Amino acid sequence: MPATIEMQNLTVQLGNRIILNQLNGALSGRCIGLLGPNGSGKSTLINTLLGFYEPVGGAARIFGKEVKGNLRELRAMIGYMPESDAFIADMTGVRFVRYMAELSGLPRGEAMERAHEAFFYVGLGEARYRKLGTYSLGMKQLAKLAQAIAHGPKLVLLDEPTNGLDPEARIRMLQLVREIRDTGEVSVLISSHLLRDIEECCDQVLILKDGRIAALCNLEEERKANLKFLELEVTQGNGFLESVRGLGCECASFGAGRVRIVLPDNIDLRQIYRTAAEHEVQIRRMNYRRDSLEDIFLKAMSGTQQAQGSANGRL
Amino acid sequence: MAVYKRTYKAYHGRLTPAWSRFTVLTRYGLSTLFDSRPFTAYTVLCFIPFLIGLAYIYVVHSSAAQALLRTGNVAMPATVNNDFFLGFLGFEAGMGFILAAWGGPGMITKDFANHSVQLYLSRPISRTEYLVGKISVLAALLSCTTWIPALILFFVKAELQGHGWLWENLWMAGSIVLSCFIWIAMISLISMAVAVWVKWRIAATALMLGIFFLLPAAAAILNAILRTQWGNLLNFTHMITLVWMRLFREKQAELPTAFNGVPLWAAWASLLSVCAACFWLLDRKLRAREVERS
Repeated sequence: MPATIEMQNLTVQLGNRIILNQLNGALSGRCIGLLGPNGSGKSTLINTLLGFYEPVGGAARIFGKEVKGNLRELRAMIGYMPESDAFIADMTGVRFVRYMAELSGLPRGEAMERAHEAFFYVGLGEARYRKLGTYSLGMKQLAKLAQAIAHGPKLVLLDEPTNGLDPEARIRMLQLVREIRDTGEVSVLISSHLLRDIEECCDQVLILKDGRIAALCNLEEERKANLKFLELEVTQGNGFLESVRGLGCECASFGAGRVRIVLPDNIDLRQIYRTAAEHEVQIRRMNYRRDSLEDIFLKAMSGTQQAQGSANGRL
Repeated sequence: MAVYKRTYKAYHGRLTPAWSRFTVLTRYGLSTLFDSRPFTAYTVLCFIPFLIGLAYIYVVHSSAAQALLRTGNVAMPATVNNDFFLGFLGFEAGMGFILAAWGGPGMITKDFANHSVQLYLSRPISRTEYLVGKISVLAALLSCTTWIPALILFFVKAELQGHGWLWENLWMAGSIVLSCFIWIAMISLISMAVAVWVKWRIAATALMLGIFFLLPAAAAILNAILRTQWGNLLNFTHMITLVWMRLFREKQAELPTAFNGVPLWAAWASLLSVCAACFWLLDRKLRAREVERS
């Protein structure tokens, strides 16, 4: 089965600036997170996948088909929710979604039925006959989601879907994304700079920095990985860290007695206790902790080299 | 079965043919235009010259109606010939221009104002189809007010006059269609091009009016300063009138003096140039995302 999205030396130049610089990778998660600071190329990547920008080098493929040359076919399979406000102000919500569904190829009757369903699905059923111009920001975001899913796409591209939403609306939006993901009939690509949004929904994450891939990792695998992260708070003890390293652990000290240790599979926790006892070190606090997306992101941002597949939490 | 379900489900039903998607834009465009009552009223008004023309042709061929007019001291109508159809189309073209300036730019500027172009173009339709869909709205409206009623008048005249007239004047039917096609294409392209250029309906409408009313003034100034007639190339109303007059086989002596210095090929070149400029502008500006060149 081909990856949802594949990139092969994908390079996009706008004006004189190279925005995406030789991206390589395959994204095959059910819900793919696209992370990066502002200006890192997230929206440009989405626009390139939609065929709005033509790459100056390399290629992008969706479901195994190259974007260039298969635009019509691919766009029929894609639902797109743009970052900015995009709607027709003097149209009612349901008419707008029906219009968009018809443009995607649905016959009139089916488009109308799907527009109603989509509106009820996103929770705007009662407001579907109101003009879009009168919607609040949160409602507009949901209406944009409705138009993106009304025609039953196989891939939904969501560009900053939680932008400007209050906490309650944000939770609702993320819940909808998870529900869509869990149907198994559609893949989702979410672009965001909010780590928590990505962490809550995605099983794979692509981190961009300055138009390059800073990290590409499978969160699901990260979560399942048996690498145990220990966060310790210890009294100062000479030679403790060196001894732990001697056991084969990776460790780092963060001052004030805070230590992080990565336990390899063959090391038992008792050996850490034993080493601490040998060095008369008191362990005052100990937490198991897996590498969070925040760590992966920060590490990716601090490094300049591509960390494809290796964002596995090594300190 | 419930009208809606609160779960997401994929769509596996049939799809409309890809070639027909642009008609969705046309259908919604027409529907949006006719949501405006003043616009609908004006469109209806555009059919009045057609009704008058129909009555005129009837009077020309009805001795009873002519007798009635004589008793009322009304001037007798002249014959229905190429001058009649040229005059009819000229009047309808003027009314159609207002229709195009009123409804045309708004169809596109709204999409730009609401950033919805990206939504259209993220669907399986190309920029060309988007443009064709929007232009078709104007083309349908302008066709209904120009060449279609003119052809109806033509065939009514042929029916009342007898078959000999039809074969003798069949070229006129071709002229009606061709002249209107040229005019509709030019007006529609200008309307769309100025809309994507300025992206603001009021400015686009003003610019359209400027092209047809201020450029002729500039042309006249140019003519006066340079003592030439070539300035008329900027007067698109004159240029299209010149082409129409030739298509309707108006005699050289009947042409207004303003046209004396401009050959027919130059008029065609002027019209084709403005269409080419519109295509160029549309190609550059009609995009889902505009790239800031730095």
